[in-house]
Amino acid sequence: MSDQLIERTRRLLDQADVAFAGVPGSEALGAARARLEGPLRVAIAGKVKAGKSTLLNALVGERLAPTDTGECTKIVTWYHDGHTYQVMLYPRDGSSPVQLRFHRDDGAIEVDLEGRDPVSVDRLDITWPSGGLRKLTLVDTPGVDTLSEGVGERAFDFLDPKDTETPADAVLYLMKHIHSSDLGLLEAFHDESVSQPNPVNAIAVLSRADEIGGGRIDSMASAQRIANRYGRDSRLRRLVQVVLPVAGLLAETAETLTEREFGWLVELAAVPRKEMDTYLLSADGFIQARPETPLTSLEREQLLDRFGIFGIRQSMALLRAKRVRSSVELARELTKRSGLIELQTILTTLFVDRAAVLKTRSALLTVERLCEENPTNPASAELLLDIEQVMAGAHPFNELAMMAAIRTGRIVAKEDDLLDLEQTLGSAGVAPWQRLGLTADASEEQLRTTAYESIGRWQRLAESPLASHDLSQAARVAIRSLEEVVAGFG
Amino acid sequence: MAKPDPNGDVRAVLDLAMKAASAYERPDFAHRLNTMLARVNRPDVQVVAIGEFKQGKSSLVNALVNVNICPVDDDIATAVHTIVRYGDERRAFALVKPASDPDGDGQRVAIDFDQIRQYATELGGTDPSLLVKGVEIEIPRKLLGDGVILVDTPGVGGLGSAHAAAGLGALSIADAAMFISDASQEYTRAEMDYLAQAIEMCPSVVCVMTKTDLYPRWRDVLEINQGHLARLGMSRPIIPVSSLLRVEAIRRKDKEINKQSGFPSLVQYITNDIVAANAQRNRLNAQRDVISVCDQLSGQFEAQRKALDDPEASAALVSGLEQAKARAESLRSQVAKWNVTLNDGIADLTSDVDFDLRGRIRGLLAEADKAIEGFDPADSWDEFEPWLENAMSQAVVANYRYLTERTSELSREVDEHFGSDGQDILADLEIHNAAQAMSRVGVDPSIDAEAMESGSRGLSALRGSYSGFLMVGILGGLPFVAVPALLVTGLGLGAGALLGRKGVKDEKERALTRRRSEAKSTVRRYCDEVSFQIGKDSRDTLRRIQRQLRDHYGSLADELNRSSTDALKSATEAANVAKADRSKKLRDVTAELERIKGLRDRAVKLAPSAVPPAP
Repeated sequence: MSDQLIERTRRLLDQADVAFAGVPGSEALGAARARLEGPLRVAIAGKVKAGKSTLLNALVGERLAPTDTGECTKIVTWYHDGHTYQVMLYPRDGSSPVQLRFHRDDGAIEVDLEGRDPVSVDRLDITWPSGGLRKLTLVDTPGVDTLSEGVGERAFDFLDPKDTETPADAVLYLMKHIHSSDLGLLEAFHDESVSQPNPVNAIAVLSRADEIGGGRIDSMASAQRIANRYGRDSRLRRLVQVVLPVAGLLAETAETLTEREFGWLVELAAVPRKEMDTYLLSADGFIQARPETPLTSLEREQLLDRFGIFGIRQSMALLRAKRVRSSVELARELTKRSGLIELQTILTTLFVDRAAVLKTRSALLTVERLCEENPTNPASAELLLDIEQVMAGAHPFNELAMMAAIRTGRIVAKEDDLLDLEQTLGSAGVAPWQRLGLTADASEEQLRTTAYESIGRWQRLAESPLASHDLSQAARVAIRSLEEVVAGFG
Repeated sequence: MAKPDPNGDVRAVLDLAMKAASAYERPDFAHRLNTMLARVNRPDVQVVAIGEFKQGKSSLVNALVNVNICPVDDDIATAVHTIVRYGDERRAFALVKPASDPDGDGQRVAIDFDQIRQYATELGGTDPSLLVKGVEIEIPRKLLGDGVILVDTPGVGGLGSAHAAAGLGALSIADAAMFISDASQEYTRAEMDYLAQAIEMCPSVVCVMTKTDLYPRWRDVLEINQGHLARLGMSRPIIPVSSLLRVEAIRRKDKEINKQSGFPSLVQYITNDIVAANAQRNRLNAQRDVISVCDQLSGQFEAQRKALDDPEASAALVSGLEQAKARAESLRSQVAKWNVTLNDGIADLTSDVDFDLRGRIRGLLAEADKAIEGFDPADSWDEFEPWLENAMSQAVVANYRYLTERTSELSREVDEHFGSDGQDILADLEIHNAAQAMSRVGVDPSIDAEAMESGSRGLSALRGSYSGFLMVGILGGLPFVAVPALLVTGLGLGAGALLGRKGVKDEKERALTRRRSEAKSTVRRYCDEVSFQIGKDSRDTLRRIQRQLRDHYGSLADELNRSSTDALKSATEAANVAKADRSKKLRDVTAELERIKGLRDRAVKLAPSAVPPAP
């Protein structure tokens, strides 16, 4: 299905290449092709200090983006896979890109801007051979709501450029609690046009989830509760697909845990629990613990920087209970507790599995714009028709558009019906069991029965005289999705 | 541990002055002094905790008074103002209004302590027919015993949070504010905008950084924040605290942990800077009250003494006193300059304030209409609505500040007129240093702009009237800013199959125009409603101010009138005293004068530097 879509889009791009050769603006076709063939581009956005770079590192599984106590990322930075290590700088004035020197400071890539003002830089492009970047190209953006002049606007420029589409296919939106200014940025990425599916390509992340509960051992459960509540908020539902809690720092550290750090933690775990609890009352208390405590205060400070109070409490509990015996086991447990795995799963089901649709969309829009800008070109009319055919023929587009319509409250129906409709359309993932609300181990027989039951249900809804026109349309799209599921059984 | 009472001398002097007032049968003086004494005994100092949501405001208030009263939750945020004040025993009240009549009078109902959480958070009260406007808690705590009233406000910035205006509204009645932000990160732009507004409303704002226990790098954040404050020209101390450590310190009775929690510095700041500044103000005002009473009393005895001393000159004396009495009477009359200034001023103010509000709302409407033309209400109403409410609250706050400033000006003007007339009377009464006595006579401590650090500061006369609670009420529950159904019924997908491309386009445009005009009329209705409510409220407020000022100066005029009448009477009587009794009487009067002078000297000693030496 999606291969076919990509293939048709490729052909369309070929035709456009011929038709618009030499026309101003046609260089966008090359970019569109690169985007179609490359991995999905996921932007990480949010307010200043929401933990964007930290989460990026966790997702890559390597410490690449520099992080600091103060505001750190001031330039939009792309991280993508490649064969060589290279950093390119694209100036704002449109002059040709410059290759920059860099060094690694404790893992993080420190780029030497050679005295340039960050505001004069359009973006940094970092090529880095890494397994973590194979499926996704990640884009780190500066925080909004910052006090540094000219920096906060950059994220807006990137997600909502004035004259072109955003270069991002999907966005991970990070926040601590949902602040009203968070909605502003999400809104920028959210497009009102029906042809551009949304909010289906945005995920909200409560990124410093461990801090919500003050670093208590049950902080993540508390954060999950909050995420659930936000996920039901209508203002947010129309902007993002799901809300997930992730303890970003812990995730990053777990992904990059060293043997030395594990050794330190083991030493600390030998301290009697009561004594350790007193030290762990506060960050200062932990660093300035009694001199006979294991490790130097400098080492404890380093640990705290890497794990946070929550991470250390978790590690102590795991080690004391002998739940983990090696750094690998500890890393696995901490990753699990950080919420990173859920985020990765959701990223895969919602973005990666749907990458073809998300990517072709931008390519088709590029061609469409060229046609509209050159209405006299003999090929324009035909190309526009082709685009419409691809869009209309590609069922995934309809699914996305319908999901967006449900999310934005354009379709009025009973809440249960809407939730089930969304699920059928693939809101929880596009695998048959996900669409049918079953478990991953459901038998084919089970899947088939449930699918037929659902088709019946949506048919009745589509034909009900009480259903609004919009609702019956939505039900028809759902039926089509289920028919494809059934067809897949052969 | 008995601490020396820092206000003992003030109380003693006031007591003595009250005894004198009743001995000389001047209940009017006794009343004024009694009011002052009450203020010294219970100097209400409102300290308001403001900041964005989820920064630990409630935890901070709890840790300050060491009891879990303000509900703390990882998720659910504080929804209404919580007022924590001193009481001999634990009690809690909810301030509620019937939902059916949100403009009606509020009620204060007693609630259980474990119900506080329910009333104070987003969860709302138990009874849906009642709107919870606030929660008041009384507990016996030493810090509060000094007169501190802590106010926990709903944080701003969240999705369901109150508007910035709610917190700012509370500030208008505050003596000081704590701006609270946690140590997780440096200040954001939204926070700095909020702080700047807060500083304008209440000059005494201190920054508090919470949750230092959780963040090892809080010192770096503190330094960065201090840099931000300095750069924005709002430099002030930032007090780092950890509520968690404070609670732990109290539980373990551990002084060391308490020190680490940073709370001793915060408590010290509140008691030393905020409470002490207030006490100093009260001290000066008490001193001036007593001096004014002494001077008026001695005027009477002075007249008597003169008449006794030199009966030949008593005719001239009596005519002087008659003039004073006439002046004092005219000061009481409707046409006294101060009275005319007050009445005219309030009339002007009422129309000016109304005009100001209308102007602001008209500007807002124009802006809203322009904005609506630029988007489809079906898509963006949800974003537009908070913008509108926020812009409206800004307009209301600005209008309120205009009212405050103008009222300050007016009360100063009234005071000047009253003062210059009053001074003549005192001069007629031949009181030494009349100018100095008069500098205070007219001005009630609570509406003296000078005694407060800044003129932009709200008048205390406004307290409890045009207050933050009201603004929350008005700006919060706006029932009709719901999206009209028409706005969301967009045109379905796939309708193109039925209508054809052109038809769809036209139909879409028609629907959009309809939605826009519906949105505009919704905005208009909203503006009308706010304008009506705020307009009524400011008119009421101004009327209340008028009444307060009139009563205040009226009673001062009565005092002067009584003083001059008494002086005249005693002078006349003295002139008629038989020669034989004269020297005895003279001794008595001189003794009285000595006593009054003794009292005045004691009053001067309360704050020697504040009084210029008598000539």
